[in-house]
Amino acid sequence: MAELAESIVPLRQRLWNSEARLAYLLLAPAVVVLLAFMFYPIVYVFLIAFSKTNRISQLKGFVGFKNFISLFKDKEFWQITARSLYWTVIAVAVKTLLGMIIALLLNVKFAGRRIARMLFIIPWASAVPISAILWRWVYHPDYGLLNATLKAGHVWSHPPVWLGYPLPAFIACIWVDIWIGIPFMALVFLAGMQAISEDQYESAYLDGVSWWQKFFYITLPGIRHLVLIATLLSCLWTFNDFNVIFILTRGGPAGATDILITKLYLSAFEFQKFSPASAMAVVTFFILTALSVLYARIYFRQEQT
Amino acid sequence: MKWRNRGKPFAVILTILLLLFLLFPFFVMLSTMLKSAQEVYQTPPAWLPKKPQFVNLVRLWKEFDFGVFFKSSLIIAFGTTILNTLVTVPAAYAVARLRFIGRKAILYLFLVIQMFSPLIVLISLFKTMAALKLLDTYLGLVLANTVFTIAFTIWMMNGYFRSIPMEIEEAALIDGCTRVQTITRIMIPIAVPGLVTTMIYSFIAAWNEFLFGLTFIQSRQRMPLVLSLYNFVGRWTTQWELLNAAAFVALIPVLVLFYIIERRLVAGLAGGAIKA
Repeated sequence: MAELAESIVPLRQRLWNSEARLAYLLLAPAVVVLLAFMFYPIVYVFLIAFSKTNRISQLKGFVGFKNFISLFKDKEFWQITARSLYWTVIAVAVKTLLGMIIALLLNVKFAGRRIARMLFIIPWASAVPISAILWRWVYHPDYGLLNATLKAGHVWSHPPVWLGYPLPAFIACIWVDIWIGIPFMALVFLAGMQAISEDQYESAYLDGVSWWQKFFYITLPGIRHLVLIATLLSCLWTFNDFNVIFILTRGGPAGATDILITKLYLSAFEFQKFSPASAMAVVTFFILTALSVLYARIYFRQEQT
Repeated sequence: MKWRNRGKPFAVILTILLLLFLLFPFFVMLSTMLKSAQEVYQTPPAWLPKKPQFVNLVRLWKEFDFGVFFKSSLIIAFGTTILNTLVTVPAAYAVARLRFIGRKAILYLFLVIQMFSPLIVLISLFKTMAALKLLDTYLGLVLANTVFTIAFTIWMMNGYFRSIPMEIEEAALIDGCTRVQTITRIMIPIAVPGLVTTMIYSFIAAWNEFLFGLTFIQSRQRMPLVLSLYNFVGRWTTQWELLNAAAFVALIPVLVLFYIIERRLVAGLAGGAIKA
């Protein structure tokens, strides 16, 4: 009925009735700030990416796809793009796995699980830059307690200088990103598990299924949708995790921990190469938009069901 | 329930082990801030301070100008909270309750841009801020923080407004309230829990923000706390006992606030399948 009525009312009236006018008025402040400080800058970044710039980022003429072509010819760019992808995939996979384990643990009804839940949240609740600084201290080669503990416990007699060499630095960075991201996964999965009705488990128990069967035939299908949305969200956050890498290593040593967004920051604000940096920003923009649209579609589908 | 009872002690032990493992950096933070400078720089470092002392928490305010940075962060975070709320509430009401063309598209857009990294616009945002003479000002940071939080807060607030039954609002309209009156006198008071959530969210986001501060702020007296901690590490003689004490104090407000909104935040991010 409502749809029929809507189609009969002329377009002009639907665009400009009192209710719509109020809506535009109420939306105006949000739209104005977003236009000025988000959409205009996005357009401008595209503009810079297609132009030549000097060291103070003034535009010095249109150059077409030149910046992109030299970017795509650069071997380092492909290395960094590949690293951004496996950085994201590895981190999200580990977060999902550990988050699932923690959610399963917290779904067991033991005394003190509320406190355990609160404690598990801390790495997510903490400010990311501060966490990264704390980890830098934990990783400290001389006075850090990580290596001291590994040595004292006879786990590893010669642990690496974590942030000093390419592979250890990459592992150190990705672990901090994972560590921050686990609690969100655990909380989402736990909420999903708690929404599964007890009856299903009761009857499964009566049928004599094993723990693994229970997990794969009841729990996992019950939270399938949430796993999808949480991993997508986590992909976006992980791909965007500038703070951890920048604070731990600034993309070093020798660029071994650079991902797209840290590289683009350094090229722009450290080396004043604004055009290549903007071209990288454009590439990043398309990757993020694709992931975001996917997330939004799944989110909406779920809202409607 | 065989698999449940048998698994319980195992679950408890694994939980404790995992917690010890995951909370290690915070243990190190507490231990380090209670050590004396000498103890911090001994090799091998000790797990626990011999004689716990709170002097670092006091030295912080004198030697590190903690008060200055704390004040900057408070101004920026409160400023962001206020501006964010002023922009979010009307916009969220409009998308939640009013019928107009493009409503769905706008909601969709908010959900998409919520995920955008500030880094894709940072280069030109820097220029915009420079042109508006907003570099190195509190207002510049407040604006940048607001822009990158409103998409999510409008989206969350929209959910709260929508959960209020239509009948309440219709009754008010029939009783002669204007639209604006129903918003200010009926809808906002009912949506207070949601409002608190979005306000805390924007406060935390601004408090934790690093990138805009790093790029836009030059002068020391306007530096937010998180950024000042980072700059403190950069110096060649980092006083880690002070830094850990500073991290501890800086974390307290966000941890407390985070626990208030944690469940609603998870529900807002993961969508309708989770009830807050």
